[in-house]
Amino acid sequence: MRPSDFIAKIVTERRGYLWLGVAALAIASVTILVTCLSLDSDVLNMLPGKFESVNALKMYDREFEQTRALTFALVCKPEDVDKLEEFAPIFAENLRKETWCERVLAGSPMETPDGVRDLQGIAVPLLLNLEPTAFESTMSILQPERIRERLHRLHQQIEAGSPRPQFELEFDPLGVIAPALKPFAENNAIQDEQPLTSTDRTMRVFLALTNQRSISAFECQRLMKEVDVFRAHATEGWNGGPLEVLITGRSAYVAELSLIMRHDIVATLLGSILLVSVIFFIGFQRWLPLIGMGFSLLLCCLVALALGLLIFGQLNMVTIGMCSILIGLGVDFAILIFGRYQQARIDGEEHRQAIATSIHRLGRAVFFGALTTAVGFLALVLSTSIGFSQLGVLIAIGIAFAGLFMCTILFLFMRERQPPLRHDWVFGLVKRYVVWSVKRPAPILIMSILLLSILSIIGLTPPMLPFDSSTRSLEPKNSRAGNALAEIMAKMPTRWEPVLAIVRAPNEQQLHGYWQKLSAHWAELQRTGKIKGFSTPAALTLSPAWMQANRERLRTFDFQAARGSLEQALAAEGFSRDSFATGFKLIDDLQAIVDPAAALPSWRDKLPKSSSWWFLVDRYFGRDPMVTTGFVTTTERIKTHAQYEMLSRELPVPDVPTVLSGWNYTLANLLPWAQRQLVIISALMALFDAVLLAILYRDWRLWIIQELTLFFAVGAMLGTMKLLNLPLNLLNVLAFRLVLAIGVDYGIYVLLIWQKAKQLEHDVAGVMKPVLLAGLTAVSGFGSLGLARNPSLSGLGIACAIGIFWSLVATIFFTLPAAAAVEPKMWREER
Amino acid sequence: MFKNSLTIFILLLLATLAKADPLSPADLKIVLEKVRERRTSSPHVQADFQEEKAMRLMSKPIVSSGKVWFQAPNKFRREVKGNSPSVTVSDGQQLWIYYSNFKSAERYSLGKKSPLDTAVATVNTALNLENVETTFHITGAKIDNRYELVLTPRSPSMKRMFQKFNLRLNADLLAERTEMFQPNGDRIVTMYSNQSRASIPAATFEFTPPAGTDVTTPLGR
Repeated sequence: MRPSDFIAKIVTERRGYLWLGVAALAIASVTILVTCLSLDSDVLNMLPGKFESVNALKMYDREFEQTRALTFALVCKPEDVDKLEEFAPIFAENLRKETWCERVLAGSPMETPDGVRDLQGIAVPLLLNLEPTAFESTMSILQPERIRERLHRLHQQIEAGSPRPQFELEFDPLGVIAPALKPFAENNAIQDEQPLTSTDRTMRVFLALTNQRSISAFECQRLMKEVDVFRAHATEGWNGGPLEVLITGRSAYVAELSLIMRHDIVATLLGSILLVSVIFFIGFQRWLPLIGMGFSLLLCCLVALALGLLIFGQLNMVTIGMCSILIGLGVDFAILIFGRYQQARIDGEEHRQAIATSIHRLGRAVFFGALTTAVGFLALVLSTSIGFSQLGVLIAIGIAFAGLFMCTILFLFMRERQPPLRHDWVFGLVKRYVVWSVKRPAPILIMSILLLSILSIIGLTPPMLPFDSSTRSLEPKNSRAGNALAEIMAKMPTRWEPVLAIVRAPNEQQLHGYWQKLSAHWAELQRTGKIKGFSTPAALTLSPAWMQANRERLRTFDFQAARGSLEQALAAEGFSRDSFATGFKLIDDLQAIVDPAAALPSWRDKLPKSSSWWFLVDRYFGRDPMVTTGFVTTTERIKTHAQYEMLSRELPVPDVPTVLSGWNYTLANLLPWAQRQLVIISALMALFDAVLLAILYRDWRLWIIQELTLFFAVGAMLGTMKLLNLPLNLLNVLAFRLVLAIGVDYGIYVLLIWQKAKQLEHDVAGVMKPVLLAGLTAVSGFGSLGLARNPSLSGLGIACAIGIFWSLVATIFFTLPAAAAVEPKMWREER
Repeated sequence: MFKNSLTIFILLLLATLAKADPLSPADLKIVLEKVRERRTSSPHVQADFQEEKAMRLMSKPIVSSGKVWFQAPNKFRREVKGNSPSVTVSDGQQLWIYYSNFKSAERYSLGKKSPLDTAVATVNTALNLENVETTFHITGAKIDNRYELVLTPRSPSMKRMFQKFNLRLNADLLAERTEMFQPNGDRIVTMYSNQSRASIPAATFEFTPPAGTDVTTPLGR
């Protein structure tokens, strides 16, 4: 018994068993999904994991508090700038009162008394952490003679009317805090380029550290709900014109992205189901098989998701978009199989026989179609991106099951007693075209070659299709968080995103040594103009060795003399002793650490938890204080791989384990990878297809026709994208392998039938109609992804829809007439 | 007893004679308009000054004296005499403070949105009274033929510099006394005398540090 007859027997005579099997499969899949479902919302997991820069970005997200920070911006009209200045502290105070808010930065900490006090508080450990020669020089300021000289000079300057001594004495009464903080201040010049007020004063920025437990999608959604409640009444007390409240930050993005994903799944799934249903009904005028097709596809999705979950343990949210892709692909098999079944019924075959015929005639084509598509998507495993690997494996599993289910389960939805279709106008049109194109292929061939060649020339000649590697290309359309960030960036005279340099060390001393070396090296790069600036945690990384040596030095210091000299100088110069209380305390603090039994002081213990300076500190130190980050501002925005190569060559220092990263840096790093994805992997896939087709057709003329069809489809796709100004990005490059996979399928269906066709109108037209309908449904299915707000899905969908459209056009208007031209069939019919 | 009663009577009489008449908004507008007219017709002002600065940092107030030159809208020169002499010159773009005792000078760039800009702008506006209504809440009173104006900054940035600015104008509508209250409790009282609207040479508002002067830029810009 042929396999097709066996399947037909099972489907018709053992329906109950088959339904039981379907139910068991569905229950098992649903159980796995319900019990094990774990979603990964990290967009970084769409990037290849083999790159250090990608892993460093993930580490930065995981290890550093900054990922829990939200940026708020208030934007007013130019006439309200003074009101905004007055309202800013009220807004900041309201922000501080929110239960989800841990800390707020509303301005430079140096401009607030608390900020100055906090800085004075960490002076002792930072002073002790100075390089021993610098420490020696700084401590000499506390020699009695130097104290007297300094205060006398400052008194005279005050009398002369200078504002400077007043600021100096209030911040640094003894003159040793400034030298202690000098390394810290030098390394943080980058802060000057990140003001919290726009130059026109119409925008004020506030940073708020939230207390969310994780940055998972659900946690971010929960937080953003509370933040939105705050946003709703955030302008209470404002009495000016319109005041806009902008909110951005990692949590805002994740919350929005995950909600957008939910919308996208529903919108694209409903969109594709609706469009596919309409086309199916127009083509076959049957509802029950349509339901069967939908049921089979749903089962494919369920099985693929369940198996994917078992394989990967967690699924990236973007991969769930594969449901739409699977529907777009799987529907082809259903249409072909049902089309052939319907034709067999029209030819007078019984239900069981018609099933056997359709499987026998098209089972091979469906098998090879599923194989090429599955292999094409499995190639995504080579991308080393967790997200894309999952997408590839899930689609491969799904398409394999789609092939199987369409040859089995679909027939459960076809009724034996239903009479065959009597009037099929779609088939009539297709038949007329097939007859005409086979009898006179030349005119159609000339027209199609002309059109496809022009588009291919446009697509494949310079200027090449632009490759958009910006982070914006990955952001959702009309994202509130994205728009807020764009508005803030436009208003603020900020630099572009810096390069991150992540350094991990086993202990404090080594960490200190690493940053000393990096700071010195980067200062040299800045001097030679290779970088614009940098900031590092060098001043905050403590050196136990230096601190111990400096403590030894302090033992010989005469604190009593310093205290006495200060008292005398204050009295002599007429200074108020109360104003110098912090100076006396500093001497006491220094004397206290002389005791060898006392622990070496750490600025971490001295800085209050509520201090705004933590915003700066958290930029540099991860949750593990041995994981640190430095920032390098480049002379221009990183856009090219050459810039990446220059930075990756220049920034590291030998023997310092540094990992460079940052979004722009990473994307520049990934450019060759993305282009390789486009060129090499697509070429490999094309090669696989070419070999497979050569084995399948065993006819070089048909093989060339098929290869030319694929070339025209991809060329016309590129040309169209160029004409429509649709750039390539890191995600829509996937479309090429999809178009190749589907294009091969269409070619296989048409050319395999052509090889074996005995009756032109019956056999060839019989497959051209399903191919046409399958193509249209695939275009609709992928086109519906354009409804997605996630650019990765919508971009992919639009690129696929364009590519499949041209595949279909090339198959109908080039493959068929070309096959007719090189291997005429008319004689068979006439004979 | 009689002597005491007479003294009280005379004091009350004097108090009545010197009673301040609060200025209505319309009167205030007229006064400011007159100031503007004077400034337009003769933009130069010079005067001697005596200043007393009560600072939280010092046990006793610091007293200084010297001469000041002003050209509307934002040029000025201020020379402090005595043991700690200094020269402060601003051409509107830069501010120099030169200490001859130390052979040192500080240079500040204006127009960079620094707190110093706010301070200079505030003092200029207060002395100049140009667009003063937009930056200050003003109340005033007329005492004899003089005017006492109380200026309170409107913007928070100005409030961070000054809480209140009292200005006394003489009959010729020139500043006679200013009193500045700072948020940290510091208070500066300046008395002006020998005011004149005579023309001032442009070179007065230019400054080039003498050779060998140690020049610093405390704000780094």
